[in-house]
Amino acid sequence: MNFERLGQYKYRIPREGKMQVDAAFYASEKILDDLEAEDYASLRQLQNVATLPGIVEPALTMPDIHWGYGFPIGGVAAFDPKEGGIVSPGGVGFDVNCGVRLLTSEIDREELELRKDRLADALYEAVPSGMGRGRTDFRMSREELAEVLVEGPAPLVERGFGEAEDLGHIESGGKLSGADPGAISARAYERGLPQLGTLGSGNHFLEVQYVDEVYDEQAAEAFGLREGWVTVLIHSGSRGLGHQVCQEYVERFLEAAPRYGVELVDRQLAAAPIESPEGEDYLRAMASAANFAFANRQLISHFTREAFASVGFEERRLRLLYDLAHNNAKFEMHAGREVLVHRKGATRAFGPGTAELPEEYHSVGQPVLVPGDMGRYSFVLAGTEGAMRETFGSSAHGAGRKMSRRKAKKAARDRDVVGEMREKGILVRAAGRATVDEEMSEAYKDAADVIEATHGAGIGRRVARLRPLIVVKG
Amino acid sequence: MLDHTADVGFELRASTLEELFDEARRALLMVAFERPPQAGADERGIQLSAPDRETLLVRWLNELTYLVQDAGFVPTGAQIRLQGTAGAGPSLKASLIGAPVLLEEYGWQGEIKSATFHGLDVSNDDEGWHARVILDV
Repeated sequence: MNFERLGQYKYRIPREGKMQVDAAFYASEKILDDLEAEDYASLRQLQNVATLPGIVEPALTMPDIHWGYGFPIGGVAAFDPKEGGIVSPGGVGFDVNCGVRLLTSEIDREELELRKDRLADALYEAVPSGMGRGRTDFRMSREELAEVLVEGPAPLVERGFGEAEDLGHIESGGKLSGADPGAISARAYERGLPQLGTLGSGNHFLEVQYVDEVYDEQAAEAFGLREGWVTVLIHSGSRGLGHQVCQEYVERFLEAAPRYGVELVDRQLAAAPIESPEGEDYLRAMASAANFAFANRQLISHFTREAFASVGFEERRLRLLYDLAHNNAKFEMHAGREVLVHRKGATRAFGPGTAELPEEYHSVGQPVLVPGDMGRYSFVLAGTEGAMRETFGSSAHGAGRKMSRRKAKKAARDRDVVGEMREKGILVRAAGRATVDEEMSEAYKDAADVIEATHGAGIGRRVARLRPLIVVKG
Repeated sequence: MLDHTADVGFELRASTLEELFDEARRALLMVAFERPPQAGADERGIQLSAPDRETLLVRWLNELTYLVQDAGFVPTGAQIRLQGTAGAGPSLKASLIGAPVLLEEYGWQGEIKSATFHGLDVSNDDEGWHARVILDV
């Protein structure tokens, strides 16, 4: 693998072979060792992305880079519609608008400890997780779902599932424009209807945490974070509806790509021009699925608030700090031109002064939420001008796996991971043992390494660290 | 099974293409469950077509995933017939028998999002048919 060091945490892969542009990646020494250990498989995936038509230099990955399918996880790629730029459903991923949202409170950790067991049970009861249907007391008609696909969580908030203020604290106001329920198949509707307000499984979770350390007082104050205060981090996406949208459009784009002269070095990168009937249809369907995901996290937040109220916190507000996507394609202005930015396991991280941000965040930048593994910590960062200059306003989205799911399960076979977590003061409630085992701490890189590279490279500013108290998993 | 860092994959071998598709069904159940059921009494039918064998395998796995996760039907057995139509790509007809999903009893392993086209391969040589598939989980 041919690359050169540009700075302490930044590297360049010069254009070669079919690459249209240079690629760049961010890594600490530790992350670089991990990349070498996997024989640079994810950097080769980055090189593949750089072959796609209309890509704007550079093709990028964030410090939490790891091996994906098609795009590497942590991949960021911008395409210019006026230069034949493409859109790739595989570059967004099956879980369209998979993302995270953070709720904050002024509840002290000590206060929560007294009700921790009851709260863990109440959350597991209130928030449907694992496989199967949602809550029996929440039903939605096909017409109501169509409204959510166009409007996102706003109709839910109108029905009492949230606070009006929530909407302004969601990326893009919780609504991607151009959504068209007509671009969604009957199968996608069928799969989505019973799954709105469900967490899912795998690496999706709900975590009750506390602020363990504040690095940037000014930004923490703006975000409403103070040492010792309790937070709730929710990680979920567009469920079966989004998976169905991606499946259908990857196949359609495989058929379309040769007609537009798009050469694919990996079929999962199936792509069509943004300005083509296929590209426009996908963007309508993707926006619908993205709005579903924003609404999904909204409903889960409502159930979370109910669970807190049920254990005696009814007078204590859970305020939405921010909700953001990490699997998406969005039109944005960068360096004076409109480009379609794909983020596959990467976070939009706009800097200070971004008009869309809530007023109280204007001076510090967009909140960037970076979950770690369930046994250690997660981080809150702020978007930077550096990210706007270098990464199309993007930053890391998580710790990144280092162990396959199979290896993790094998390593956990003779252990009691839930018991080990309890010993550390973390209560786990999960539908089954398998997802807990495969998500154990050791299966992930240390999120602190990712944050070191992100902060060090100036593409995200460290604000606070959060430690888990309760973990709910599917 | 393949060791993919973020996801799950498998490599399959079989003497006929029909057997290869049935092996893919078995492998999918091994990803979804620790102890997949071996028999069932319910019946279902599937008809699929695709421009090529690889896409047909992806569609087959995605259809089976849908049956397990959204219809609550675990396909414990399959009679598969594959046909190649000149100029139209291969098609598949399958009669499935299966059992209702029992998460705890079968040791459910977590949701499968989709079969992917990344590194996908369906081919044959002197030893028979083989396939390689990576699932997004």
